[in-house]
Amino acid sequence: MAVISLTVNNRPVQLDLDPDTPLLWALRDHLNLVGTKFGCGGGFCGACTVHVDGVATRSCSTPIGRAAGKRVTTIEGLSADGDHPAQRAWEDIDVPQCGYCQAGQIMSCAALLERTPNPTDEEITTAMSGNICRCGTYIRIKEAVKLAATLRASR
Amino acid sequence: MRSRREVLRDAKQGIIEEPSDFSSRPSASRRSFITVGLAATGGLLVAMRMEPLGAQSPALAGPAGFPIDYIQIDPDDRVLIWSAQPEMGEGTKTSLPMIVAEELDADWSKVRIGDAPLDRKYGGQGVGGSDAIRSDWDNMRRIGATARALLIASAAAEWRVPAGECDTGAHMVRHRASNREARYGTLAARAATLSVPQDVALKDPSRYRLLGTRVKGIDTHKVVTGQPLFGIDVRLPNMKFAAVAKCPVFNGRPIKFDATRARQVPGVRDVVEIKGLDNPTLLMPGVAVVADSTWAAFKGREALVVQWDEGPHASESNASITAQFQKILADPQETLHNSGRIDDALAAAATVVDNTYSFPFVSHATLEPHNCTADFRPDTGEVWVRGPIQMPMSAQTTVARAIGIAVNKVHVHSTRIGGGFGRRLLSDYAAEAAVVARAIGGPVMVIDNREGDLQHDYYRPAAMQRLRVGADAQGKIVAWDHIIASCSRNVYRKDSRGPHSTESYGSYVGRVQSIEQLDADLQPTKIPNARLRYGNPLTGVATGAWRAPAHVVNAFTIETSIDELAATIKRSPVDLRLELLADTADVPKAADDPSPYDPARMRRVLLEVVERGGFGKPAPNGRARGLAMHHTFGSYCAHVVELSVNTGATSEKRVTIHKVVSVADLGQPINLSMLEAQMQGGVIDGIGAAFFGEVPIANGRAQSRNFGDYRLIRMREAPRAIEAHFIDSRLRPTGFGEPPLPPIAPAVANAIAALTGERIRMMPFSKSGFVL
Repeated sequence: MAVISLTVNNRPVQLDLDPDTPLLWALRDHLNLVGTKFGCGGGFCGACTVHVDGVATRSCSTPIGRAAGKRVTTIEGLSADGDHPAQRAWEDIDVPQCGYCQAGQIMSCAALLERTPNPTDEEITTAMSGNICRCGTYIRIKEAVKLAATLRASR
Repeated sequence: MRSRREVLRDAKQGIIEEPSDFSSRPSASRRSFITVGLAATGGLLVAMRMEPLGAQSPALAGPAGFPIDYIQIDPDDRVLIWSAQPEMGEGTKTSLPMIVAEELDADWSKVRIGDAPLDRKYGGQGVGGSDAIRSDWDNMRRIGATARALLIASAAAEWRVPAGECDTGAHMVRHRASNREARYGTLAARAATLSVPQDVALKDPSRYRLLGTRVKGIDTHKVVTGQPLFGIDVRLPNMKFAAVAKCPVFNGRPIKFDATRARQVPGVRDVVEIKGLDNPTLLMPGVAVVADSTWAAFKGREALVVQWDEGPHASESNASITAQFQKILADPQETLHNSGRIDDALAAAATVVDNTYSFPFVSHATLEPHNCTADFRPDTGEVWVRGPIQMPMSAQTTVARAIGIAVNKVHVHSTRIGGGFGRRLLSDYAAEAAVVARAIGGPVMVIDNREGDLQHDYYRPAAMQRLRVGADAQGKIVAWDHIIASCSRNVYRKDSRGPHSTESYGSYVGRVQSIEQLDADLQPTKIPNARLRYGNPLTGVATGAWRAPAHVVNAFTIETSIDELAATIKRSPVDLRLELLADTADVPKAADDPSPYDPARMRRVLLEVVERGGFGKPAPNGRARGLAMHHTFGSYCAHVVELSVNTGATSEKRVTIHKVVSVADLGQPINLSMLEAQMQGGVIDGIGAAFFGEVPIANGRAQSRNFGDYRLIRMREAPRAIEAHFIDSRLRPTGFGEPPLPPIAPAVANAIAALTGERIRMMPFSKSGFVL
C-alpha cells in the first residue's frame, strides 16, 4: 500500500492503495465515480476510457501508481452541466441503446476533438474503433462525433 | 407439455419449475380492472389491478388485487407514467409509456417516466422474446384511454355539457360548441372522484400524433452524463464485493479448497462456498472470495486454491462434438415433419443442392459483465436483490429457492441493464449474490471479470445442419430435406419439452398442418415433399438463448441454400422466394395469437427491399448485392447488402460492406428512433457474430479469454451505411429486438457468393478466410 496523490475532475485526491490497483477500480470503488465502466480489464473495449493529462486512456489497464501526480478527467467531470459538445451531440442523435459503453465512447470523442477539431470520416473511424459498442450503435456514434465537432466549432 | 405461450407467461410470472427462456408470443389476455384515486399531489391517479397469472400455482401467485399505479396527472399539468419493465437497450422504458401517452392525448414534453417498483404484486414483469410491446399493447392503450375519458367526463361535468360533445387536444379537453377548453391538470382532481368508464373507445390510428414518430430515449441524458444507472453501479453502505471461482470444466464442482493465500490478499474478508442447485441454469457451484473492493476480490480469487471434481465432460472438445453432429447427420434421432415422398422426390429432381453447414458456440458477451448485488437482513430473514435483472419474477423465485426462504421475503429491483442478448433471461447471478449475501449476513455485489464472464456463459448452441433442396426441370422446388444437429437448450436446462423445440423452429418445411407447427414459427411453404429431422448430441457445454436463438443459424442455412439453388438453376432468387411463400389462407390461426404469421406481409417486405436496395440491378463496379428475408416473433424483415471484397497479399479476403438496405413490417411502428436503432444494431450484431463469433471448446473448457481472442465487431468493420425502412402499417405492433438478426448473415454470404462465386457454409466466416 502507498499513498498516491492525483487530481480527479479538478479535485485533489489521496488514495492509500496498492500501486498496482487499476485506476478504474480506484475511481469506481474508492472514489465512487461509477460513470467509468468496466468492460474487459485488458484495454480491448474502451468502456473504461478516461482522460489522463488530456489523453484518452484505458483506466482498466493503468495502474493507479502511474496516475500519481496527474490530472484525471472522468465522464462525471467532462462538463459542469452535462453539456460538453459530445454529450449534447450524443443526446441529440439519441445514440445509446443499453448505454453501457457510451461514457467511454464520449471520452474518446472528446479527446479526439481536442486534437483534431474537424475530423474526417477516416479519422473518426480510427479514433473510435478502440471502443466497442456491443449494441452496435456505430452509425449513430459516427454521426454524433460529426455533430459534436460542429457544436464545438460554434461554441 | 406446455406451449411456448405458456412458457413465456410462466417466465414472466417467475414460475421456474422448468427453467426457461422463451421466444414466442404474448401471454394470454388477463383480466384486469382499472381503478382511480386522488394522488397525494391532488391529482388523478389511474391504476390497474390484474388478476394474477399463475393462478394454477397459488403459492407463487402472490397477493392479488394490489393496484398498479400507471398514470398520475398533477394539477400543474405534469403527467407521471410508470414503466414496469426492465430497460436493456431496446427502448421499452420509452416506448411503452408512449402508448399510454398517445391514448391519453398527452403532451409528451410534460410526461415523466417513473420506475415502477418490481414486486410480485404487479403481476408478470420481465422482457424478452421481442415481446414487451406485444404483451403490453392492450393494457397500455386501455389505461391511457380510460384516463382520457375521465378527464373528458370531468370537463363535461364542470361545463354541464354532454361528454360526447367534448374532445381532446394536446393535454387539454375542448368543447367546440361553446369554445371552451381546459388543461388536463385543472381537471385531474374532479376526475379522481368519478366512476371508471368501461369499454372506452381507443383512438383511431389516423389520429396518432406520437406513435410512429421519433422520440428520444427517456434516460439518454443520464447515460451520457455517466449517472449510476446500471447493476454494476449499485452501491450500498458497507457493501462487499465478491468474485466466484467456478470449475473451468462444464458442470464440475469444488471438492475442497484452500483459502489461506486468498485470505492474505489485502482487503479479502471472507471465502464462501456456493453449493449450486441441481439445475445449472439456476445456480452454478463455486467458491466466492469476498473483499472490500472489486480488485481485491479478483486478486483473492486468483490466490484461491480449489480442487475440482471435473465431472464427466473433461475431455470434450470441438472435435468430439463435431463427431457427434456428423453421426446425427448420418442418422438423425427424430423426424419432426415428413410430408410427400422425400426420397423419391430427391431422386427424381432435376437439380439438387446438397450442403452441410456448421455453427460454433457463441457468447453473449454483454458489455456489462456478470454482476448482481444482494443484501441479506438477518433480523427479518429478507433478501433485497438489485442488479441488471431482465426477468425479475424469475429472479425472485430462483433466489427464494437458492437460499431456501419464502418468495415473499425476496425483494427484487431491476436496474438499467448493460446489454442482454439473451444472457439475462436466466437469473443465476441473482441467486449467486443472494447466497453470498446470506453467508456473510450483509450487502455484497457478486461480479465477474471478462475472462470469467466469457468462460461461464450459457452459449448459443453449436450446430451442424444438412439441407438438400431439389428442383424439377421447370425450376420449381419440389423437395426439401433438412437435418438439424444442435445442442438442445431444453436438455441443458432440464426442460420437459422436446429437445428439438428450442432448435428447430424457423425451418421451412412443408405446408403448415397444425397450430402446433405454427406456434413454433415454422414458415409454411408450398414444397410438396418435405422432411425435417433433428438430433441432439450429449454434451456438458452450457447453452442458453442468444438473440433470435436458433433463427440465426436456421435462417442462414435456409436463405443461403435458396440463393444457391437459384444461381444453380439460373432463376431469380426473388421469384424463387415468392413461390415458396404460402397464401394467407393456408396458414391456420391460433385463437390466442393476435399477430398470426401472414405470408402476404413477408411478400410485401421482400418486394420492397428488392426495390429499395436495387437488388437485381447492376451494382457499382467491383461490388455485388445479396438478399435474405426472415419472419421472427411476429415481425418480418429483409435486407439487401452491397459489398466488395479485397484479396490482399495474404489469404485473407477483406470484405467491405458499403450499404445495407433493410425493410421491416412490425405492424404499427411505435418509436421510429428505437426501431431504427434496433435495425442498425441488429444488422451490426448479426454481422459481427457471423464473421467472428466463436467460443472454441477444448478439454471440457471454453477457450475464449477476452476480447482479444473473442472478437466483437468495431466501428471500422461495421457497414458504412444502414438504411432502415418500416412498412407504414396500422396492424397490431410486434417486437423488433431480434427480427433484424436472422436475415443479415445470409444476405452478406449471398452477396459474397454473387461477387466471388464462393459459398460460405460455416460460421464464423473468418474460418473461410473472409474478414472485415
